[in-house]
Amino acid sequence: MSSALTRLWERLPLKKQTAQSGIRVFSNQEPQQNQEVEDDEEFRVLSLRTVKQQFQRRQQVRRDPITPPRTNRMAVDQDWTAVWPGPRSFHPASVPLPLRQGFTERGAAAPSKFANAELMKIPNFLHLTPPAIRQQCEAIKKFCTPWPKGLETEAKWQRHFPLEVITTDYCQSLPTIRNPEARRVTISLKLSDLKFDAHARDKFLRLVGDRYDKDTDIVTFVTDRCPQKKQNYDYALYLLTVCYHESFVTEPWEATKSEADMEVYLFERNQSKLSAERILNWNAKEGAPKVAPSKSFAVCVEQLINEGENEYNLGKYKEEVKKMLSIA
Amino acid sequence: MNFLKKLVPQVATEVQQLSRSGFHTSSVCCRVQSGRYRITTKRNRPLTYEMANPPHFIGHRKSWNSWNTSTMKDALRPSQTAIEDVFIRKFVTGTWHALVCSEIIIKRQHNTIRIAALIRQAITPRKMYFLIGYTEELLSYWMQCPVTLELQTVGDKKDVVFKYI
Repeated sequence: MSSALTRLWERLPLKKQTAQSGIRVFSNQEPQQNQEVEDDEEFRVLSLRTVKQQFQRRQQVRRDPITPPRTNRMAVDQDWTAVWPGPRSFHPASVPLPLRQGFTERGAAAPSKFANAELMKIPNFLHLTPPAIRQQCEAIKKFCTPWPKGLETEAKWQRHFPLEVITTDYCQSLPTIRNPEARRVTISLKLSDLKFDAHARDKFLRLVGDRYDKDTDIVTFVTDRCPQKKQNYDYALYLLTVCYHESFVTEPWEATKSEADMEVYLFERNQSKLSAERILNWNAKEGAPKVAPSKSFAVCVEQLINEGENEYNLGKYKEEVKKMLSIA
Repeated sequence: MNFLKKLVPQVATEVQQLSRSGFHTSSVCCRVQSGRYRITTKRNRPLTYEMANPPHFIGHRKSWNSWNTSTMKDALRPSQTAIEDVFIRKFVTGTWHALVCSEIIIKRQHNTIRIAALIRQAITPRKMYFLIGYTEELLSYWMQCPVTLELQTVGDKKDVVFKYI
C-alpha cells in the first residue's frame, strides 16, 4: 500500500519532497527503493531477434598468478634433509640443480628439468645425501650395542659359533611382505668341529650322504619343507642332532658286515696282516711274544690299496717291505 | 576361372592344378605399429618426449612407466600388478579429466604406490587439492596400501610438447 502511494506521489514532481519526508515516518527503506525503481524504468528496446551487441562478454577465467619456483628463494646453506626428507619423485621447483635429461638431435640442448617426465620416472637418491645418512646414523646409534669382547677375529668367532645359518629375506614392491622363497634355511658346519669315533664318523657320513663335501670338510643341511623360516630352522637343527646321535648307535646287524661291504681297505682285518705276521714269526718258539708288523707298514699298505698304485706309493711300499724284512 | 577352360584345354588343366595346390597370398601382417605416430602433411601433430621415442627405445632414450619388482624373474603377482597398473592409469586419467599431460608413472616401493604425472594448471589449487585427496583415498582403499600422488603442474599444454611431426 505504501509503495503504491509513493509511486503516485512520484508522478507529481512538485510535491515529491514533501511526500517523501511524510512517508519517512513509516519506513526508512522507502527512499532507496524509490531510487531503484527510477533506474529500472529506462526505455526498454523490444528485441525480437538477437543482436550481437546484446551478448554479454564471456567472463574471463580469473587465474591465480603462477608463482616462480621455490628454488629461487632457497638459501645456499639451507638444510637439504628438511627439503627432501624421504624418497619422492623428482620435482623441478624443489631441486635447485640445473638438471637436463633426454635424447635430442645432435646440437640441440636436452630437455630441461621443467615438465620433464623422464626425470620423474628414474628413481633418485636426493634423500640419501651424505649428510642425511650421517644424520640417520647418529639417530639410530643409541640402539647399537658394542661388539662382544673375545670375538675380535674370524678364527675366534668360528671357534665359538661353529654353526653357520643362512636365510634370505625378500624386499619386494607388493602389498604383501610374505615370500615363499624366504622359508629356506641352510645350516652348515665343519665336520672337524664334531667329536666322533671311527664307527660313528663312518655312520654319520653314510647318513648325511652327499650333504658332506669332502674337499672343504663341510656338512650342509638345506630345509624347505615347512612353510615358515622358524620351523625350517628348527627342523634343520633337529636333523643335525638326530644324525649325530644316531651315528653312535651300533645296531646288531652292523656286526655282520663282511669284507665285501667295506668301503675302504683296512689293514687290521685283512689277509695281508696275517701274511706279514706269519713271515715275522717264522720259526718262533712256542709261547714267545708275537711280533706284529710295524704301524708304518700298515699305513703304507692301506695307502697303496686305497689310493691305487702310483710311483710314490709303490716306492714307499718297497722301502717298508725292505725295512720289515731287514734286507736294506 | 571357368572362362579359361574354354580357351585352351592345356590352360584349363594348369588352372585346375593351381587351384588344387592352394596357393594363398595376403598382405604382410607383421608390421609393427604400436607406440609409433605418423607424420602429418602439415607437420603439426604435437608429440611429447614419451611419444617421440618408439617403444624399442625404452631403456635407452626413455625409461619405463611402471617400476616394480613383479617383472623380475620368479617374482610374485606379475599379472595382478599389471592389471592394477592399468586400473590406476584409467582412474587417474578419468578423475583428472583432460588435465593429465603425460603418461602416468607408477612406482611401487614395498607396499606403497607412488603415482607421478604432469598436470595442467587449468583448475584452481583448491580443486586440485581435493582431487589429490580423493584419488589417494579411493586408490588406497581399493589397493589396500598407501598411495601417494606426486604431481608436477605445467602452465600450458604446449609445455610438454617435444616436437611436431
